[in-house]
Amino acid sequence: MSDVETRFHRFKDLPSTQLLGTGTPMCAGCGGLQALHEIYDVLGEKTVFVNAAGCMTLLSVYPFTPFRGSWLYTAMASAPAGAQGVRDALDILLEQERMPPEEDLRVVVLTGDGAAYGMGLSATSGAIERGLDFLYIVYDNEGYGNTGQQYSGATPHAARTATSRMGGGFRGDKKDLFDIWVAHRPAYAATVIGAEPLDLARKVERAMAIKGPKLILALAPCPTGWDFDPKLTVDIGRLAVRTGIWPLKEYVDGRVVHSKTPHPRKPVKEYLSLQGRFAHLFEPQRNAAELTRMQAKVDEYWADPAT
Amino acid sequence: MYRIRFHGRGGQGMKTASRILGSALFAEGFEVQDAPRYGAERRGAPIFAYVRADRRPINERGIIRRPDLVVVADDTLIPVPAAGVLAGLDAYSVLLIHSHESADTWRRRLNTPARVLVLPLIEESADRADLPYVGAVCAGAAACLLGVISEDALATALRDELGPLGEAVVQRNLDKALAAYRQMVEVCGVVTEGREANAADYTPPEWISLAFEGANVSAPVIHAGLTSSAVKTGLWRTLRPVIDYDRCGRCWWVCSSLCPDGAIQVEEGRPTIDYDHCKGCLVCVAVCPPHAIEAQPERTAESLETPK
Ligand SMILES: Cc1ncc(C[n+]2csc(CCOP(=O)(O)OP(=O)(O)O)c2C)c(N)n1
Ligand code: SF4
Ligand code: SF4
Ligand code: SF4
Ligand SMILES: [Mg+2]
Repeated sequence: MSDVETRFHRFKDLPSTQLLGTGTPMCAGCGGLQALHEIYDVLGEKTVFVNAAGCMTLLSVYPFTPFRGSWLYTAMASAPAGAQGVRDALDILLEQERMPPEEDLRVVVLTGDGAAYGMGLSATSGAIERGLDFLYIVYDNEGYGNTGQQYSGATPHAARTATSRMGGGFRGDKKDLFDIWVAHRPAYAATVIGAEPLDLARKVERAMAIKGPKLILALAPCPTGWDFDPKLTVDIGRLAVRTGIWPLKEYVDGRVVHSKTPHPRKPVKEYLSLQGRFAHLFEPQRNAAELTRMQAKVDEYWADPAT
Repeated sequence: MYRIRFHGRGGQGMKTASRILGSALFAEGFEVQDAPRYGAERRGAPIFAYVRADRRPINERGIIRRPDLVVVADDTLIPVPAAGVLAGLDAYSVLLIHSHESADTWRRRLNTPARVLVLPLIEESADRADLPYVGAVCAGAAACLLGVISEDALATALRDELGPLGEAVVQRNLDKALAAYRQMVEVCGVVTEGREANAADYTPPEWISLAFEGANVSAPVIHAGLTSSAVKTGLWRTLRPVIDYDRCGRCWWVCSSLCPDGAIQVEEGRPTIDYDHCKGCLVCVAVCPPHAIEAQPERTAESLETPK
């Protein structure tokens, strides 16, 4: 991304403003909240949030809100439809000159992975197809966090969840939402993580400059659902990147580019062993075969990353 | 009917305690309700759980306002108004506090009409959100205080509730629960059943009638931003991050960007932690490059504070 004009060259250029209010009911150490406050600092306050049901719904429980502007709550599957309604309303106000252009707002969907990888896919696909001008932020805690971490379409292989509690954990594989978006040829798509704030800020900045459907997909380490000490949120986030499990990349102008290529990559077991949901891979016996398969999957991705 | 209220912090297993006690009462032939109160069930946040038990069908619902027994897993919650530990206690109630201080100390401090008992804190943990086995311990002690639950029923209930966690976990919890049960034998059965709720006892809330106005006039806060800061999530904290400014390298973009709650403000390159809202996750302690932030148990940090 070096050829891009950015106001974020060094860490010192990150905003120190803290636009998002404190006092929210998210868990201590919530990786999703970390990403959101970093994103909001770049986006600015001229935004309308359309929130699919999930942990973040609790952000705005009357009379409390950490946002500086409007917020709309939708059912799990319908945030992109809600965003369409808000965008249309704003466009009508602009067209009829009932609102000056400088008061226009950005329409931002805020959604968990349960909605984004599953129930909300149809509405999302439709919104991208219609070329809706919106930013779609996913905080991916790899499960239905708000209802007790049942598995979702984003749950990784072998993770224990409330609905895959026993034995080897979740038997399926994590869907690739980034690729699902890219297959739609959106205006922009990027993966980010709160533990890499500079990379995140540049991508949000880039997304803001482009009209159309845009994805910001944030892996969100979740102490509660992933079962780790809350102080490890950043360590786990950094390891997700350095082990290659969470590739940081963006899709722009029809191409996928990796914004960080971990080199050398750390072994995935360093990431897995910090989380209670994967503890069964290490105790009481080490599941060497499963660990080897999981490492091989990551190696396979990086052998031919889609750049 | 028995009405029991558990108070603890998210992470201390109050929901589990209520379920163990509920299942034990059920095994003894009671009709039972047990439920945590739905809210911000976050680690460190004040948590409530309720148990009702009766030999007859239970028609009461909702939160327990007049408890026969209140069990407090974490005594640091008692001074927290939002926790409402002392609410609804009267001369017929029993208040059991899990604490390293004596019952006399608590009686003097609280001046409550309720009978105050202490369950001695066996293991102190620097991080109080992490007190091991406290859910099982509280359930065990409460079971004895009710006087209608046998050790066998307690053990069966605990196995039912914790079974999926594996035999080793069950056994450790069972040992602690039975030890707590036996610690209470002298006061076994002190909790008495409360009266049936009666419609005649109902006192309506004191309504204040307001003239109808547009919401933006009567409640402008509906349209206000940033109101969440009125919620003092600093109360969740069990460990406090403290910056040593002599060692701080003024690399504010590290701690202030990475604090999930945005609770680190920056002025002229100097980071300040907002203790009204810092939840004590200790991410800042983990990421600070020169290790300039130290975690102190909240209790110690409070006692070091100079009174305002
Ligand atoms: C259609 C529908 N089904 C179920 C629910 C109940 N529900 C509320 S939040 C939630 C979990 C959402 O998971 P995710 O989108 O990953 O967000 P998270 O809770 O992890 O933040 C569920 C199932 C709902 N609100 N709407
Ligand atoms: S459950 Fe996970 S995602 Fe939800 S608020 Fe807690 S830490 Fe954040
Ligand atoms: S990260 Fe540590 S050294 Fe850097 S500003 Fe924050 S407290 Fe100071
Ligand atoms: S412990 Fe540190 S990182 Fe966590 S909320 Fe408090 S100030 Fe923020
Ligand atoms: Mg989720």
